[in-house]
Amino acid sequence: MIRDVDCDRVSKRYRVPSKLTADSGVRRALRRGASALWAPREEFWALRDVSFAVARGEAVGLIGRNGAGKSTILKLLTGITAPTTGQITIRGRLAALIELGSGFHPELTGRENAYLSGSMLGLRRHELTAKLPGIIDFAGIGDFLDVPVKFYSSGMYVRLGFAIAALLEPDVLLVDEVLAVGDVEFQARCLRRIADLKRRGVTMIIVSHDLGAIEQLCDRVLLLDHGTVAMSGSAHEVITAYQQLAAGGGVPAAARPIDSSGSLPLEIVALTVSGADGRSTLTVRAGEASTAAIAVRAGRAFADVDARLSIYDFEHGTHLVECSTAAIGQRCPVPPGESRIEFLIPQMLLRPGVYTLGATVRPTSEARPVAWRFGRTTLYVEGSVSSAGALLLPFQCRVAAAPATNPAVLTS
Amino acid sequence: MRTVGAPATAIADARPVVIRRADAPTWRPIGNIRDLAQYADLFRTVTEHRVRVRYKQSVLGLAWAIVQPVAMMLIFTLVFGRITRVPTDGAPYALFAFTGLVLWSFVSTSLNNATHALVSHAQLITKVYFPREILPLSYVAAAVFDLMVAMVVLAGLLLWYGRPVDARLLLTIPIVVAAALLVTALALLVSALQVRFRDVGLAVPLLLYLWMFSTPIAYPLSSIPARYRVFFELNPLSGLIEAFRQIVLGPALPSPSLLVVPLSLTAVLLPAAYALFKRTEVTMADVI
Repeated sequence: MIRDVDCDRVSKRYRVPSKLTADSGVRRALRRGASALWAPREEFWALRDVSFAVARGEAVGLIGRNGAGKSTILKLLTGITAPTTGQITIRGRLAALIELGSGFHPELTGRENAYLSGSMLGLRRHELTAKLPGIIDFAGIGDFLDVPVKFYSSGMYVRLGFAIAALLEPDVLLVDEVLAVGDVEFQARCLRRIADLKRRGVTMIIVSHDLGAIEQLCDRVLLLDHGTVAMSGSAHEVITAYQQLAAGGGVPAAARPIDSSGSLPLEIVALTVSGADGRSTLTVRAGEASTAAIAVRAGRAFADVDARLSIYDFEHGTHLVECSTAAIGQRCPVPPGESRIEFLIPQMLLRPGVYTLGATVRPTSEARPVAWRFGRTTLYVEGSVSSAGALLLPFQCRVAAAPATNPAVLTS
Repeated sequence: MRTVGAPATAIADARPVVIRRADAPTWRPIGNIRDLAQYADLFRTVTEHRVRVRYKQSVLGLAWAIVQPVAMMLIFTLVFGRITRVPTDGAPYALFAFTGLVLWSFVSTSLNNATHALVSHAQLITKVYFPREILPLSYVAAAVFDLMVAMVVLAGLLLWYGRPVDARLLLTIPIVVAAALLVTALALLVSALQVRFRDVGLAVPLLLYLWMFSTPIAYPLSSIPARYRVFFELNPLSGLIEAFRQIVLGPALPSPSLLVVPLSLTAVLLPAAYALFKRTEVTMADVI
């Protein structure tokens, strides 16, 4: 196993000037000047003895509350700042998707900025020239390429930023909380691009509060707490632990999933959606066939359950669709151990956008569901179809002559 | 930067290996310059950007490159040429002053801008890695562009006063290179210090003001009484400006001894300033 990223007992200390006593005038100024030079400073350890490795082609998620040290790790990995102790080894070209468009200059045109931030990411000029058509296409800013970016909408701004960074071909990619940029359609494309890179074997470290995305993209997740690695393991395990940690608050409500099981030994392990090609991905294409699955773990056999899969609008939480096995009269026995209840969807009739999935499982012997899972799985539907409505109704169109009016009918 | 190449790995792998650790040496002249060379494209793009941004959305455009030396020339000509009559070794005062101001404007523009080079890009420094010296150096390079424009104006002025414009002027190139190296050293120094001590940004304009009047720009070095002259000769810019002016205005070529002070000072200052800069660079993002 080749380890592309290796953090060996890395610590990072920041020094913050300690607060000064209230004083006035010249004395205060002098004191402040002096303190800038030699007064003791308060120490703050952003990271303490953090060790972890990322294997080639592996995607590792970093989660944790604000101030847990996630961003500090990324800063050390990118070389923005140096560790206080410890050593980091990185094999291969590293690129980071951190705060898109942060390197843009408002007075310069999109093209000039593309060169500027491309070269900041270590891209050579001729490489960028070769990639420019792809960048323009991905960002969808064709007509605005030679317009100063100060005239861009904020959406165009981040799209260009993402396009430049995403079309790099790094060996190691760092992604910091950029999954929530642009409109929903663009988000879907970003995720698809990241999933694409992952398939191609790019090693990834992903920081996000979007636990759904983390769970679906990452092979392994590290939970950071107060600058140390509190836990490392499968996405499911660590995310569950994180929810317990975050139960005291501090995590935005939107990111706090409800995920629990009741009295019976039956739980939902995961929700997945795969497109027409059968690969488990985050994204499906509008109008295409897809399969949603509820993976369950049962302590004993259940003769029949009513499994329900729901799709919600990401932004407003509107309940759009519910697929219930009982409603279509499908008997659904669950064997002991792990199994998958699959929903075969012949055509995805949602318009391109972001959705969340929810599921409940109720043994038919019970009045209420015993396992449920909401708000954790994000579904990205992409496609070029645009529709003001939520659903895509399949239809054809023709122009017909107006039906001939029959005077006889009118008079009768 | 604290990146050290580590070629010896057990795995046969073509990928570059980067190691970051706290005790990695910060001052590796060859490695540092090699890193910088890798980012040559960035340096070029940023410099172009400086030049372009400065003249975009300004009515006078390119003319701004010479506004400073021309305006100062007019004032100097009025005060020192008309009112107090400073000797100029035979040259028309306006031409005499402008020749010195061409080089001086390069120094002052470079340093005034470079002082804030890092601090004004805090947003970038905390988000992206690249060799930080690119920022101050790009301001120096952009000022070289202004200098070239001013040189064209200088050539026009020479023609106006009926003086020859010939190959002799090419000798100014080594002088400009020497000045650029000196300015680079100072730019690295002030930009790095400004990150930690914002006082530097306030002091630099004042120091530049003092420096301007203690350098033979408005007056020739020969007008300084012999017993004080040594202090003026210790000023590295005196020799450079004096040599520059003698090349442009003649009649004789300057004595190479004029360059001893500036060149030896630069030879010491430049490596020291670069070493200090690289040392501050590793934790720059934490304090900026």
